[in-house]
Amino acid sequence: MTTATPTRTAPVRNVSRTGSPDESPRAAAWMLAPFVILYVLFIIGPAIYGLLLSLFDTSLVRGGLGSFAGLGNYQEALASNDFWSSLWHTLWFTILTTPPLIVLAFVFALLADRVGRARWFFRLAFFAPFVIPSAVVALIWIWLYTPGLGLIEAGLGWFGITAPNWLGDPAWAMPSLAITTIWWTLGFNFVLYLAGLQDIPHELYEAASVDGAGPWQQIRSITIPLLGRTTTLVAVLQVIASLKVFDQMYIMTAGGPNFATRSILQYVYDEGFTNFRVGYASAVSTLFFVVILVVSVIWFAIVRKQEKVA
Amino acid sequence: MSTQSTRTLVSPRAVSRREAAPTETARKTEYDRRVKLFNRICLGVLIGFALLWLLPIAWALDTALKPNAETTQVTWAIDNPTLGAFARVFTETDMLSWYAASFITSALTALVTVVTGSMAAFALSRMKFRYKNVAFWFILIGIMIPGQVLIVPQFREFDAVNMLNTFWAVVLPQAPTAIAVFIFKQFFDGLPRELDDAAKVEGASGMRIYRTIAMPLSRPAVAAVGIFTFVHTWNNLLWPLLVLSNPKLMTVPVGLATVQGNFGIRYADTMATALLGALPLVAVYLLFQRHIVRGIAGTGLKG
Amino acid sequence: MRNEPIRPVGRRAFLRGAAGLAGLGAAGALSGCGSGSTLAGLSVSHRQEGSLDYWNLFGGGDGVRMVDMEDGFRKSFPNVGLNAVTLAWGNPYYTKLSLATLGQKPPDVAVAHLTRMKTLVAAGLVEELDPAELETAGMSADKFSSRPWQAGLVDGKIYALPLDTHPFVMFYNKDVCKKAGLLDGDTLAPMDSPEAFTEALSKAKKATGAVGGCIAVTNETATPWRFFQSAYSQLGGKVLADEGKRVVFDDDKALEVLAMMQSLSKKQLVPGSLDYEGSIATFANGDAGFLFQGEWEIATFQTAKMPFSMTTFPNIYGGADGYAVQADSHTLIIPKQPDNDPARRRSALEFIKSMLDQSKTWAEGGHVPAWQPFADSDAYRSMTPQSNYAAAADAAVYDPEGWYSGSGSNFEIVVGSSIGAVVAGQLEPKAALRQMHTKLGVLARTAQPT
Repeated sequence: MTTATPTRTAPVRNVSRTGSPDESPRAAAWMLAPFVILYVLFIIGPAIYGLLLSLFDTSLVRGGLGSFAGLGNYQEALASNDFWSSLWHTLWFTILTTPPLIVLAFVFALLADRVGRARWFFRLAFFAPFVIPSAVVALIWIWLYTPGLGLIEAGLGWFGITAPNWLGDPAWAMPSLAITTIWWTLGFNFVLYLAGLQDIPHELYEAASVDGAGPWQQIRSITIPLLGRTTTLVAVLQVIASLKVFDQMYIMTAGGPNFATRSILQYVYDEGFTNFRVGYASAVSTLFFVVILVVSVIWFAIVRKQEKVA
Repeated sequence: MSTQSTRTLVSPRAVSRREAAPTETARKTEYDRRVKLFNRICLGVLIGFALLWLLPIAWALDTALKPNAETTQVTWAIDNPTLGAFARVFTETDMLSWYAASFITSALTALVTVVTGSMAAFALSRMKFRYKNVAFWFILIGIMIPGQVLIVPQFREFDAVNMLNTFWAVVLPQAPTAIAVFIFKQFFDGLPRELDDAAKVEGASGMRIYRTIAMPLSRPAVAAVGIFTFVHTWNNLLWPLLVLSNPKLMTVPVGLATVQGNFGIRYADTMATALLGALPLVAVYLLFQRHIVRGIAGTGLKG
Repeated sequence: MRNEPIRPVGRRAFLRGAAGLAGLGAAGALSGCGSGSTLAGLSVSHRQEGSLDYWNLFGGGDGVRMVDMEDGFRKSFPNVGLNAVTLAWGNPYYTKLSLATLGQKPPDVAVAHLTRMKTLVAAGLVEELDPAELETAGMSADKFSSRPWQAGLVDGKIYALPLDTHPFVMFYNKDVCKKAGLLDGDTLAPMDSPEAFTEALSKAKKATGAVGGCIAVTNETATPWRFFQSAYSQLGGKVLADEGKRVVFDDDKALEVLAMMQSLSKKQLVPGSLDYEGSIATFANGDAGFLFQGEWEIATFQTAKMPFSMTTFPNIYGGADGYAVQADSHTLIIPKQPDNDPARRRSALEFIKSMLDQSKTWAEGGHVPAWQPFADSDAYRSMTPQSNYAAAADAAVYDPEGWYSGSGSNFEIVVGSSIGAVVAGQLEPKAALRQMHTKLGVLARTAQPT
């Protein structure tokens, strides 16, 4: 991305590259101001305020910051089983959702690309769930999972399979939420892959088929390697989105049974807004932010490497 | 990610696939047959999955059309179809208020995001000022901060100024999205500079060029950012859940997530509520399908 | 980032899209006007005159009965627009209630568990009620059962009006108990010592050929806690002191109760791996003589049309005057109001009174009424099996005070999971007690957030 270097002298001559001679810096400030004011008030300000809160025993229901806690909140979080278990649940959810969401989206996009026909229909089928609110998705899937009355249990019973108690069994609750999430968000990755597939020059396939390479070989030797960048993008967006999971658990299991599906964001919610422990919740938020940051940094490193190779 | 143009590659392929070489050999026809069979299998598998994907919504609709008492039979057959469940949604929930709340907050957020984001982007892309680098990096930081980690301080902030339970509490923290600035900046960077240079020679101000040249040419970016912000705000649960606690002011997702108890085990009513909750966004999707899909493909926007 | 794929769109497509959005907007705005107060979300608004917002957390059978009672109120006060909202049970409910009150949009009346109400009071989220005002509204202290009334006072001040007491009780299968020789006419043989209790369970086990009694312990923390707390309180034991700042287990007493509970599963009188539903199903199938659970399960067994009855949780350790049993109460509170509108407050008290007047409907769900005019009536005394365990309300032991304590709280989860592990045979009593000391210690040392 291009960024201009700051310069003091008004460059009268070089109108064609940078700007008008009589343009005042104030004009730029006015253009930036509305965004920057909102941005400082509602993003940067709260971010700093959150860091500050994490150093105090601040209460939701009392004014002021409360007593200074130093790094006590961080110590408490790092020593807390609840913190680690909810972090693990979030990771477990990410592990359960990311591979299927990448692989299935890739396969569906590949198939849709090959078939070529009726793409609008496939896009509707796979992508429409993505625009539906999480609460709607949750209500529909709670009904599908309902013991005794659910469609899935009945469907499996038809094949002679006994369904588990999807949302009620701690071992099955998370996989059940993962299945719901895969249904819900697959369309996003599907669209990304579809776009990536259109970027592949068709001449490559032509050349390969002249050499007698079958469809499967073409996929392995052309499609998959050339979609490397798309896959990186899909994977990182997916991992970050999965780490931020809250809605599905909040509505479908309320973090249960017995806290087996409480995500890290719900832990923040519980501590901050149910137990009123705003200071501690801020510390947990900060730790969560560090996790997201690490993932982002890893992504940048991978993209850098890919760009060097390319 | 670097640039890779797709524009030229869209159509020629479909054409070239048909033009299989006229010089046929036996091996070639055998190969074509295999390819055809493979494509047919692909189609079959894909249709199978697409139907599987439509199944939950079809089942929800099927359930919603039954009387409540008949939902305890797991069957697709609807013996006594009725729209009663849909009617009850409007009499027994605040669905209309929820629609209004969702619409007002989403439209306002989209508007503020587009206007402030594009203005800032224009300054970064086209105007010349000191500390531009600083401004650029300052805004870039915002991409790294997920809104979810800010819920606690943001809540305190709105609590302190007594603005909880207002739509502004929903709109304001969601409006300044750094990613929108960068999408607009990329778009402006791609516009030919000759246009605004000509205007500048005539003495047009930056604001004027922004309004009369840059924005009219940027409709695709406006559409992508606007629609995405709209959908994203509409679907957000966590933040509105915290700041909207009056059932009359709740957005659709918050209403659906908190006021479940009203229907209890009346499954037809619950499914009708869910489907009506999804309806506006399905309409948005159908109207703006191309923009949404292109927006994702172009920018990797995600919630 | 990729630069290109956003291609300019045709003007027509764009306009069509814009028209669609505008249409949606019109619909939204119209419905907004229709519902009046929605647009108020743009400003800090006032509430509708003559309306009454009431929040509760009742699902299932309780929910159905509550709706009946709301309709009863509507009939008596047709001029008040009652807006009853049922929110998801448990922590989400209390969170929502706290946030709404902080956000200046509280309901006029809300239900709260007595043990959770204390935390709300400490947070300054509940209106204090004036005795004179209650007198005028016909709800003076003497009209309530003394135990929940006393337990609900905070520093001698009134914040909540109890609707009921819901104690931990003992369900028994009449056929099984008769077969086991535990029934004398209609009365169950007393189980007033650990030996007698164990004896009764083993007789029941012989009679069923399966298990003696059921305690839900798998994925369940409240039930093990309630069982433990009942027996431990009969020995006079306490868990927390100084509003939760100190952990004060009486180790000997706690170990005695834990050992007794573990012996039940070791002797296979009680299964060590039943979850909540499993315990209900086992008892409903007639595979157990006893079930230890809250009285609200009454409706389940009435529906199942099985030969069951209910009585107080046995007095295992208490002797003549030491009977105690774990319980909580549903109370009605007025959350802190942003505007001190006397008319709204009067209306709120009228609503509460109307709920109390309908205590009969509420008692059908198993809860012991706190409203003396009904609790003292023949109508209640002739209600069986509900009146069998009415005495439990007077011996109710509420969860200890502390910001992290109360029904469904962190406290119950921490303690209940250790106790459950003892019954399941996964932890020895000593290890479990150590675990509870450690975990509660962390909570006790945490700065109180209210």
